Amino acid sequence: MKAPKWNKQMLVAPYIYISPYFILFFIFSLYPILYSIYISLTDWNGSGEKVFIGFDNYMQLFSDNDFWLSLWNSALIFLMYVPLMLFVGLILASILNSNWMVGKGFFRMALFVPNFVSVVAVSFVFILLLNTQDGLINSVLRNIGLIDNPIPWLESPWWARLSVAMMVLYRWLGYNMLLLLTGLQNISKDLYEAAYVDGATKIKSFFYITIPLVKKMLLFCTVLSTIGTFSLFTEPYILTQGGPLNSTLTPVLMLYRESFQNFNFGYASSIAVCFFVLMMVISLVQMRIFDEKE
Amino acid sequence: MRKKRVLYVLITCLLVSLLTAACSSGDKPAESQSPGESGDEKVKLVVWIWETAKDGLDLNMDAFKAKYPNIEIEFQTMKSTDLYSKYLISSSTGDAVPDIITVESTNLSQIVQIDALLDITDRVAPYKDKMSAYKWEDATKDDKVYAMPWDSGPVVMFYRNDLFAQAGLPTDPEEVAQKIQTWDDYYEAAKLVKEKTGAMMYGDSKTNSSNRMFESMMWQRGLWYFDGDGNVAVDTPEIKEIADYLIKMQNEGLVYDARANTDPWGNAIRDGQIATVVGGSWHDAIIENQYSPADKGKWSVTMMPKWSKDDKYSGANQGGANLAINKNSKHPEEAWQFIEFMLGSEESQIKMMTGAGLFPAMLVDDNASLEEPSEYFNNEPIRKVYAQSLANTYPLAYTSDFPMANKLMTDVWAEVFLNKVSSDKALKDMADELRSKTKRN
Repeated sequence: MKAPKWNKQMLVAPYIYISPYFILFFIFSLYPILYSIYISLTDWNGSGEKVFIGFDNYMQLFSDNDFWLSLWNSALIFLMYVPLMLFVGLILASILNSNWMVGKGFFRMALFVPNFVSVVAVSFVFILLLNTQDGLINSVLRNIGLIDNPIPWLESPWWARLSVAMMVLYRWLGYNMLLLLTGLQNISKDLYEAAYVDGATKIKSFFYITIPLVKKMLLFCTVLSTIGTFSLFTEPYILTQGGPLNSTLTPVLMLYRESFQNFNFGYASSIAVCFFVLMMVISLVQMRIFDEKE
Repeated sequence: MRKKRVLYVLITCLLVSLLTAACSSGDKPAESQSPGESGDEKVKLVVWIWETAKDGLDLNMDAFKAKYPNIEIEFQTMKSTDLYSKYLISSSTGDAVPDIITVESTNLSQIVQIDALLDITDRVAPYKDKMSAYKWEDATKDDKVYAMPWDSGPVVMFYRNDLFAQAGLPTDPEEVAQKIQTWDDYYEAAKLVKEKTGAMMYGDSKTNSSNRMFESMMWQRGLWYFDGDGNVAVDTPEIKEIADYLIKMQNEGLVYDARANTDPWGNAIRDGQIATVVGGSWHDAIIENQYSPADKGKWSVTMMPKWSKDDKYSGANQGGANLAINKNSKHPEEAWQFIEFMLGSEESQIKMMTGAGLFPAMLVDDNASLEEPSEYFNNEPIRKVYAQSLANTYPLAYTSDFPMANKLMTDVWAEVFLNKVSSDKALKDMADELRSKTKRN
């Protein structure tokens, strides 16, 4: 009689063990997701009654220039910093991974610190640095004679996008460098020794051994950065409030604006749903590429 | 061995913390069981507020505690914009906390529209005529009143008399008001100031304007983003006139390019690069305490210019706050007692005016403290100017879509200055967008 009971336990136990995650997932993730899908089909000011209006919010959203602009902005900001970040990150990682480097721990930490310093505090420092009239960056550039007129870092669309991109770069360079470093550490030293014996220079082995072998990690970083860029919020919110002319408006910032500033929760939810679908598609595409390489 | 010892230390720590936690949670009910000294049950009210407004209420807290010993007040401070979104969440879940919220007039109508505040129509009835009339409109929906007016921001002109003197302009407040009667006079003065001193007339951003100057100029003429029927009015000729005036000021280089009330703007004030601030009375504290404490005696205050000499109203309002009660509050009676004590009595209001620079929405024209000279502002009785401005303010409301209209207006300037779009087209586009977003005509 003992054996069947034991078997039954064996059958049930795993589900009990994993249930905490699923219970929390249902309460804090699945339910809110389904609920916001429902809200996206209504007209709701956050407090009163919800009026069911079908797909009107979506129709409005697809004809809303701001929404398309926010996606375009994210794509531009992505292009401005991600290639640079991955390239510089990889170079820094290989320097930190080499035998001759001293003080590795210090540099690793120094590069990573920007990532866990409060982003709000960093944003305010950037505002001071980038201030057109008397910011440090413009003062320095002017004093060394590189520019005559102050650069409107936060006051013209392209400079503002660049400023946001640079701030994101500053925050996430160290993080991506660490990811790449773990990738590098998995590469066998034998390969480099063999290449050395064959007479390859350091630069050649970087391009022909390092880069191909960390490709997987690079793709992983790209996926993370894609999601990160499209859901950027704090940086543009504090630096530029999405301006000028919505040039640094991101989908999440737009969602915030519609919900908590304009009290259009139905419309804001439709942004959330579209954003969710878009991110899922992009991630699936990127994971597809990721798989093929394997 | 060492590892084991560390483990023991950890376990002991854990046990001790568990024990204290257990004890403290056991203590609590015991404490609340002890009867209140007055015999009455103590009521605790939670008030959501921002720092500068709390400074005002603090001045009256001792008197309040003496009068209502059974009401305990807990202030929770946060940024005003955070306050609104947090309140929205707590009210949509039917939360009884906070009992009282502070709302700026700029956002009041928007909050009233979501039906989350307690109807206090009967309670405020005795105060209807004691407050500046314009304050009630944003607090009202369907003839029901949902908030009690607190303070106003009567718009006046602060100016640097040293820069004015250098430019050959008068410096005495009366004479300045006489010399700069209209916005055209203001423009002429701006050119003089620029030519003689190099300073700019005022500060406003081309691409990230707060629109405060523009809104004050609309307000004093009874114009607004929306007209009396609630239709979008941004593309009317009168408003275009004002926009064109401000564009002219910018294009002729008479304006310091920084958003008002930001650090770059304040630093320019400190460095004497800005000659005037046309803004709400609360700018006195910003100039005196925050940005320019060293310039005692250099600033004066007078009435703001008008559009045309014959205009009936000359003043405008900028900001100002209100107190309102949560619809779901468990203690609406006590909450109203608090609000009435703070805002309904002239004594409390005057204290907040003299001590915290909050100019009352309550009409206090006869109060002696209006005559008090301000040391920083050349011993001028500046509050008299505020009262005069308030008495001449057009009775206008911010309306519920003001926050959105304000945001869209910022982009109008950016379109004009960055993309060289004509003011006509920029205003028309903005009006159309506002119409479609607010479903107005």
